[in-house]
Amino acid sequence: MAGDPRIRNFCIVAHIDHGKSTLADRLLEATGTLSDRERRDQFLDKMDLERERGITIKAQTARMPYRAQDGEEYLLNLIDTPGHVDFSYEVSRALQACEGAVLVVDAAQGIEAQTLANAYLAIDAGLEILPVVNKIDLPAADPDRVAQEIEDVVGLDAADVLSVSAKDGRGIDALLERIVAVVPPPRGNPAAELRALIFDSWFDSYVGAVMLVRVVDGSVTAGQRIRMMARGTDREVQELHVLDPHPRKVDCLAAGEVGVVVAGVKTLAEVRVGDTLTDFRQPASEALPGFEDVKPMVFTGLYPVLAENYENLKTALEKLKLNDASLSYEPETSAALGFGFRCGFLGFLHSEIVQERLEREYDLDLIATAPTVRYRVVEKNGRVAEIESPAALPDAADLDRIEEPVILATIHLPPEFVGPVIKLCQERRGTQRDMNHHGSRVQLRYELPLSEVVLDFHDRLKGATRGYGSLDYELQGYRQADLVKLDVMVNADPVDALSLIVHRDKSHQRGTDLARKLKEFIPRQMYEVAIQAAIGTRVIARTTVKALRKNVTAKCYGGDITRKRKLLEKQKEGKRRMKRVGSVEIPQEAFLAALRLDDS
Amino acid sequence: MPFCERICPYCDFAVIRARPLSPEDESAYLDTLCAELHARAGAFEGRRLASIYLGGGTPSLLQARSVERILGAIRGAFPGDPEETTLEVNPSTLETARLPDFRVAGIDRISLGAQSFDDTTLRRLGRGHRASEVHRSFEACRAAGFANVSLDLIVAAPGQTLTEVEADLVAALAYAPEHLSVYELSLEPGTPFGKAAARGRLQRPGEEEAVAMLECVEARLCAAGYERYEISSYARPGHRSVHNRRYWQRLPVLGLGMGAVSSDPPSPRHPFGLRRSNPRELAPYSEGVAAGDGAGAQVEVLGAREARAEAVFLALRTGDGLDVELFAGEFGAPPRHFFARELDRLTADGLLEEAPDALRLTPRGRMLSDSVFASFL
Ligand SMILES: Nc1nc2c(ncn2[C@@H]2O[C@H](COP(=O)(O)OP(=O)(O)OP(=O)(O)O)[C@@H](O)[C@H]2O)c(=O)[nH]1
Ligand code: SF4
Ligand SMILES: [Mg+2]
Repeated sequence: MAGDPRIRNFCIVAHIDHGKSTLADRLLEATGTLSDRERRDQFLDKMDLERERGITIKAQTARMPYRAQDGEEYLLNLIDTPGHVDFSYEVSRALQACEGAVLVVDAAQGIEAQTLANAYLAIDAGLEILPVVNKIDLPAADPDRVAQEIEDVVGLDAADVLSVSAKDGRGIDALLERIVAVVPPPRGNPAAELRALIFDSWFDSYVGAVMLVRVVDGSVTAGQRIRMMARGTDREVQELHVLDPHPRKVDCLAAGEVGVVVAGVKTLAEVRVGDTLTDFRQPASEALPGFEDVKPMVFTGLYPVLAENYENLKTALEKLKLNDASLSYEPETSAALGFGFRCGFLGFLHSEIVQERLEREYDLDLIATAPTVRYRVVEKNGRVAEIESPAALPDAADLDRIEEPVILATIHLPPEFVGPVIKLCQERRGTQRDMNHHGSRVQLRYELPLSEVVLDFHDRLKGATRGYGSLDYELQGYRQADLVKLDVMVNADPVDALSLIVHRDKSHQRGTDLARKLKEFIPRQMYEVAIQAAIGTRVIARTTVKALRKNVTAKCYGGDITRKRKLLEKQKEGKRRMKRVGSVEIPQEAFLAALRLDDS
Repeated sequence: MPFCERICPYCDFAVIRARPLSPEDESAYLDTLCAELHARAGAFEGRRLASIYLGGGTPSLLQARSVERILGAIRGAFPGDPEETTLEVNPSTLETARLPDFRVAGIDRISLGAQSFDDTTLRRLGRGHRASEVHRSFEACRAAGFANVSLDLIVAAPGQTLTEVEADLVAALAYAPEHLSVYELSLEPGTPFGKAAARGRLQRPGEEEAVAMLECVEARLCAAGYERYEISSYARPGHRSVHNRRYWQRLPVLGLGMGAVSSDPPSPRHPFGLRRSNPRELAPYSEGVAAGDGAGAQVEVLGAREARAEAVFLALRTGDGLDVELFAGEFGAPPRHFFARELDRLTADGLLEEAPDALRLTPRGRMLSDSVFASFL
């Protein structure tokens, strides 16, 4: 038996910035879900961080009633997803809650790396795909060419491609009709035992862990006793909500519906995204397939600036992990920074976002170390280990070899930028695989060490192509490379958290740049600070930060006292965000100095 | 007294350009001042006068009978004989003629805003007076019988050299003033100098040079028998400023006039006192006083934490340092109770001396005093 014939669950997927969230705005408006008063651009980008950066980080759900031209009232459930590759885990989870995907392509830019990647994800998930060309209002828009490109590259019929403008609203009504016509009603069996897929969750300080679910079979009602199948723990459903788009309490979520389950879960580890909810008395025999585990690509150490905040950081990570299943972490200790966590991320942007969310949402001051990738080290005694931090690298004398992860990068770009991009790839130790022309675009494929890509490759690529280049990559495997560990000493104290693993050919330059950058970041202190970069025992670069000689306020009388106190408070606040290593105060940003090496 | 004949490019006081100060404006301002005095005296009830300080602005622009009127009003409002009654004087001919009358009016101490004895430095500082006028004013002070005169000097002025600072010191010492305040020029944001500096347009002595200047000031003045009793204040024995000490010891001060700041005495409701700042513009200030409710003043209630920090950093500015017993009396425990970690670090770094009875900055600590003070916030 099929699900409710009047429900349509679909997500919007695309390359970054192709207009998914703006399109979602138009859909919310066209269906009357949002009142005029509530209107604001990219309504579903709710986090401050998303609004500040103008990108979607979290997938968001909204439910919309829609009276179609056939006179029937439908319930559309939309999931807006992020376009950036670092958040693709959000996309793959959203897909599992849907039967259809609106694939948005920018009418001027055409198909980009994440267009393809997301289209394939949707195909693999068995979803119906609705291709849409957006931004047809742009002067540079070429909807026919892009529709043809969709046919050529993705294999969808160009005639089925809808043209819309999420800016001026053209084509939105047609899109709604198409969704009703093309997206199948929910799969699943309303009469079977309850099975609901947890595809997102978050922590609420009042009610604990909250689960966003897609009910596949059966239904869930308030008061029902449910079981989380992975852990086997039982809970009573306290409240159910639908998001239309604001949370609204309901008594029941039926098969095919998407909604929020509040079940008084205070132990965070109990909830796992990808798990299945079932009935406690009549459990389903088999859980839903769930999600593939994510493989973190980039690792950084995260430490509280104040050691006493370690426990807070731990709790914050647990809570954030609920809302970001692609985050992984485990405890780590640094001689310089104390107790912290080695965290794994899907990419560099992901690591930045997690850090900012921890600092903002959990009011923590953190120190992050430079990102690294996961290396494979083979010792002379034959032992093989995977390391995610420079500090874990065994002594050079014991090393047989180091292998580094290598990716196959697919770069799409206009032909006029091929020269600079090839140069960039060569600087990054890349090997060209092939180069193909697709209409007006060139597809370049390069094998590149992942470590050369994680930091700023993306930005450099954008720079080299005036924003028109896009990058997608997949892991190829491991390859031996001549890598060395670059250490930093501050006033002769080694600062393990500043160590880097670099290619030998680049080590000298890197050491010099790193010492120079650190000098910029470390403010003058009461004593001179000597900064050295070394490989093994060989110092390859040194520089000094001169001692602060004078820091004195000449006048301080009645009128000034409050102002002076506030100035001193500011000075102190600046210090609070520094880490004392030996006798030297090192600011947070200095630990990321390695990221800035290419600025000069 | 907010009026000045011209506004110096580094000044961030609340000042009004008045050239000249009309008798109408002068008497209107005085009326407001006296009205404010009567409205505010209640908060200081039961206290005796310790000192009176007529500062500015340029209070020496006032006519002697205005000064007399202010002093009379103050003495009428509170019992006690002030130990010190200071008038800030600008070295311009207009005012030196009034010095004898100021003395008759009850002023017994002059603070002379000399700033420098070098015409080039004075011009670079944008001052209206010249060295000759400084000489003349100082002589006029003595001639008028003032036995307690303080000189203000500025060091590290734009373009100033160490030799020029030394020459200023020699010139100042030739008059053997009872007191010297030597301020390193500070660049306040928003002032013309501050803005020029922010754009890199102000040529100032480098850090090493400024350090050498401050060290030279201390060496010369101490050799000449002055005591450095506060970071920027030097006095011959027995001539420390009675009034300024009150700020560093956090004693109550009734500040009157536009932009003035008061420290109201502690009360059961506000055990660490209140700080009141008058509006920094004439109209809101006058209106607030006229309305009789002191409206427009900003009131800051000091909490224990702020009060402790201020107690430490204000007292540490002085040569006597922070009196451990006094501190414990006010805050219930000695400084070490609140700041053990900071004290250990600062003494280890050679910035602070911890004696059983007092905490004091070391010479190095004085040069880095803001770094030291920030530790206590
Ligand atoms: N001219 C024009 N601009 C559009 C249109 N749709 C979106 N934009 C603009 O394109 C930019 C990106 O839009 P978003 O809706 O944030 O794109 P997105 O796909 O949600 O981006 P991510 O979620 O970060 O992947 C914004 O500046 C939008 O105003 C359109 O139809 N026409
Ligand atoms: S004389 Fe004094 S108060 Fe007046 S403007 Fe100059 S520095 Fe400011
Ligand atoms: Mg978006």
